[in-house]
Amino acid sequence: MGDVTLDGITKRYDDVVAVDDVNIHIEDGEFVTLVGPSGCGKSTTLEIVAGLTNPSGGTVTIADRDVTRLPPKDRDISMVFQNIALFPHMNVRKNISFGLRLRDFDSEETERRVQRAAEILQLEGMLDRMPDELSGGQQQRVGIGRAIVREPEVFLMDEPLANLDAKLRVHMRTELQRLHDELETTILYVTHDQAEAMTMSDRIAVLNHGELQQFAPPLVCYNEPANEFVAGFIGSPSMNFLEGEMGGERVETPHFSVGVDPAAVDVGADGPVTVGIRPEDIYLRQTAATVEQPTDAVEATVDVLEPMGDEIFVYLLLGDAADDGGPTVEGADEASARSDQLLMSVEPDVRLESGERVEVVLDRDRVHLFDTGGDARAHGVAEGSEAPTEVNADGGEGR
Amino acid sequence: MKEFFERVRRATSGRSADRGAGADGSDPEESDGPAESGAAVTDGGVATGSDRGGTTGDDPGALRRAFDRIDDRLGRDFVESSPFWLPAFLLMGFFVYGAIGWNVLISLTDYRGFGTVDYSQLDFDMYVRAFQSSAVQQAAINTFVLLLGFTIVCLIFGMLLAILLDRRVRYDNSLRLIYLLPMSLSFVVTAQFWLWMYDYSNGIVNQVLGLVGLGPYNFIGNPQLVLGAVIFALVWQYSGYAMVVYLSALRAIPDEHFEAAKVDGASVVRMYWRVIVPQLRSATISAAVVIMVFALKAFDFLYSLVGGYRPPNGADILATLMVREAYQNTNWAYGSAIAVILFMMALAVIGPYLVYQYRNDAL
Repeated sequence: MGDVTLDGITKRYDDVVAVDDVNIHIEDGEFVTLVGPSGCGKSTTLEIVAGLTNPSGGTVTIADRDVTRLPPKDRDISMVFQNIALFPHMNVRKNISFGLRLRDFDSEETERRVQRAAEILQLEGMLDRMPDELSGGQQQRVGIGRAIVREPEVFLMDEPLANLDAKLRVHMRTELQRLHDELETTILYVTHDQAEAMTMSDRIAVLNHGELQQFAPPLVCYNEPANEFVAGFIGSPSMNFLEGEMGGERVETPHFSVGVDPAAVDVGADGPVTVGIRPEDIYLRQTAATVEQPTDAVEATVDVLEPMGDEIFVYLLLGDAADDGGPTVEGADEASARSDQLLMSVEPDVRLESGERVEVVLDRDRVHLFDTGGDARAHGVAEGSEAPTEVNADGGEGR
Repeated sequence: MKEFFERVRRATSGRSADRGAGADGSDPEESDGPAESGAAVTDGGVATGSDRGGTTGDDPGALRRAFDRIDDRLGRDFVESSPFWLPAFLLMGFFVYGAIGWNVLISLTDYRGFGTVDYSQLDFDMYVRAFQSSAVQQAAINTFVLLLGFTIVCLIFGMLLAILLDRRVRYDNSLRLIYLLPMSLSFVVTAQFWLWMYDYSNGIVNQVLGLVGLGPYNFIGNPQLVLGAVIFALVWQYSGYAMVVYLSALRAIPDEHFEAAKVDGASVVRMYWRVIVPQLRSATISAAVVIMVFALKAFDFLYSLVGGYRPPNGADILATLMVREAYQNTNWAYGSAIAVILFMMALAVIGPYLVYQYRNDAL
């Protein structure tokens, strides 16, 4: 079966640690995405699974076989590359069948598989064309075709959509999902685009600085991020972070305070915390009727409006920026500038003006708290909010 | 000429494109034009009634229209751009193509010895004589062997070196320099020291072969060996060039092609043979053309090898034969005929390449 296990995978280049003790277990037939910013080690991890790079430590197991020291061709994998890498001197048919011809499949079987791949990928009329006669999307479909004819246990995809234009990328996303449903083969997919990761995957593995941050289904990563990095990386626009101080049953930020329920949060540990709130969990006070557990009203000034059509992003300046009599909290001076700004999203029919004073409330059920190390302390601080599930970033058991 | 500079002036001030229909008929600036250049700033071909009436044979407007006609025939700005390309064109035309033409003309005469050329009787006698001469035939065969042998060995060797260097060998920059260095040497130097290397009794080649119980061979004196020895020396000098061309082509192939081939299950040899080498086609063509031209120019190597017009037996090529006939035997017309034959061979190499490049819009 096509399950993949990475056990303590580490890759060091001279003095740089590219991948640091990553443990992931991928079930057979699962669509798993490695996601993270540039240089987080996701491509290196994929290359290690492919066998194009040797790990400095750890083992790779594919289909219950330890393949750590095997060359790529013996691993029963196939790979789709970011810049597609079609061989320019071969036509589509030869490109797709390249791997089969190398393995000395008989021509009948080769032809049957090529035809089937062409059918799945809607490339039927193009088998005799040369790569430079194809559009970008067609080229990428040929690249995928080259991978699927081999009928491997695992597909490895290294940012296959990154070089396509935005519209085609969205289209190819659904194609890839359809392909995954059809073939039911394990897919390990690498991208820096969190939207791709969110929409396609069964589970996503968020990497940063070579370390696994969280390995969980997309919505878990979204709703219960394991730490500040995941919270900020997943979701667009990204989460607001405010420096705060936990004291008693309240969290004080420079400009407002949030009441926390002792049942949801371990209030015993007073001290600095980071408050995280997503833009869509901030409401104008007059429209906040649906929010069950709102915070007290927070005064703010509208700074910039970004109408997106289906919603409006509103950049708010907190506090009384206009006159100096604003609330001053101890330590506000050194609190980073991000504590003065909030991004919220509102319905497109809301009329706001730049410079307008507004009152907003936060959905306490959706307020996240992170401790100074960045690890999540609470997802939701209201009554009835659940304490964070123990997310084990290292073991990969955090499902 | 005044008109011409007027046009240049107008071109530089961005108003030259006026030979189309009456764009400047309504141009207010046109009114002061005639005053300034003497009735001549006509509007490129869209003659007004008075203009047409005033056109005489020596009217500068006629010259203007002549220019326009040239421009229409040969493309826009033909006349305006001529100061830039005309001098070079004339120099090239006279000293290269003119000289070739003159050489062809001489080859049709019977000119020999000292005296003046008699152009009254032009025929192909010299060519007939050349084609019937066994010396020319042998030299042509040698030229051909040198051309093909040198080029092919050079390309293969250069490609192997490039592939090795491309596989991230340590010190590959210094290695590249080492292989490229011989190319900076003059043929004279190469010939001299390969002469020493090939020396029958003291040459290092025979010394080394002697260690494994072979030889000694008389590389230069033996007509069977000399051409091979010459080719080897030339390969030594020029494979570095082929390597550099191939190396840059290899570096341009994305890593993903290597990785894709590896993941698809190709061994190293098959990966290169089926994926990488086919992509080196255009590099092969351009390297081959340059190397072939070097092969045809091997005259100076052979000249320096013996210090005279008479290369060792078995290594006589058309270039040496041509110079020998002309400057040693003063058979000017005969030498010219051989030169034309050599020129045709070079053209047969270069011509298809130029056509290929032209078709690909690379020229």
